Amino acid sequence: MEPLRARLRGPWRVAVVQASMEPTIGPDDWLLVDPTTDRWPRRGTVVAFREPDSGTLSIKRVGATPGDRVPFRDGYLELADDEAWLVSDATTEMTEAAGLGAPIDSRSYGPVPVSLLVGRVWFRYAPLRRLGPIRRRPPAPRG
Amino acid sequence: MSRLTRWLAPTTTARAHCDLPCGVYDPEQARIEAESCHKINEKYAANEDATFRTRAIAIKEGRADLVKHHLDVLWHDYFKPEHLAAVPNLHELFWNANKQVSKVKASTDTADSKQLLDMIDEIDAAWKATGGNEKTRVAGRPS
Repeated sequence: MEPLRARLRGPWRVAVVQASMEPTIGPDDWLLVDPTTDRWPRRGTVVAFREPDSGTLSIKRVGATPGDRVPFRDGYLELADDEAWLVSDATTEMTEAAGLGAPIDSRSYGPVPVSLLVGRVWFRYAPLRRLGPIRRRPPAPRG
Repeated sequence: MSRLTRWLAPTTTARAHCDLPCGVYDPEQARIEAESCHKINEKYAANEDATFRTRAIAIKEGRADLVKHHLDVLWHDYFKPEHLAAVPNLHELFWNANKQVSKVKASTDTADSKQLLDMIDEIDAAWKATGGNEKTRVAGRPS
C-alpha cells in the first residue's frame, strides 16, 4: 500500500462497469471509496485495486487475507504475507445473463499483492433507489 | 444530465471485471491447425534431411498446441450444460480429441494425425447439432 499522502489522491468515487460483483454492486453504480483505510485487507470487504497484469482499476471482495490457505485448481495455495485473494460475488450464470462472460478474479490471475489495493468500497450513492452502505460479509463459497 | 448530477458523477471507472467473449466459435479453427499437423507428418515422411525434420517437428508441436487451445475454447466457452441433451458424449469427445492431440505432438505417424482430424469432425457434428453454425458465425459458416 502507498503512503497515506499518496493515497489521499484517491480515488474517492468510482463508477462501475461490468457485472462480476452482482448482485451486491451492478454496472453504472456510483460508489464511495475510502483510500485512507489502514485496517485491511479484511476478509469480506469490497476493495478497489489495480489488476496485477493490466493495472486496470477494479473492484472485488476480499476472499482471503495474507497467510490464508485458499483452494486453487486441484489443491491449495498459501498466500504470502503481502498477498490477498480477491473474488467476485457473481456466478458465471449471473454475468452471462448480463451478456458478459465469466467473472475474472483471483481464480484467473492468482493472488493480488496488497500494494495494489487502493481503497475500501464503503457506500453506494447512485442509483438513489439502491443508496446505502456496501457491507462487509463472507465471500461466496466457491473454489 | 443536470449540473448537480454532473458534479456528483465519478470521473473514474472501476471494473467489476468479466470475460468479454466475442461469441464466435467454430471447430474449423482447430481443424485447420490439425490439418497442418497432418501435412507436416506427410512432409516429414517424404524428406530425410535432418534439419528439415527438426524444423517440421518444432512447427508441428506449435500447431498441436493451437489445436488444444481451440478445442478448449470450444469446450469451455461455447458448449453449455444444456447441450449435453443433444450430445450426451460431449465430454468424452473433447477428452479423447485432446488426448489425441498429445499423441500427435509425440508422433510423426500420419495415421495418428488423420485420427485427430476424424475426431474434430465428430466435434464439428456436435457443434452443428447444437446450432453452432447459425448461432456463432456471422451469417453462418462460409461454404
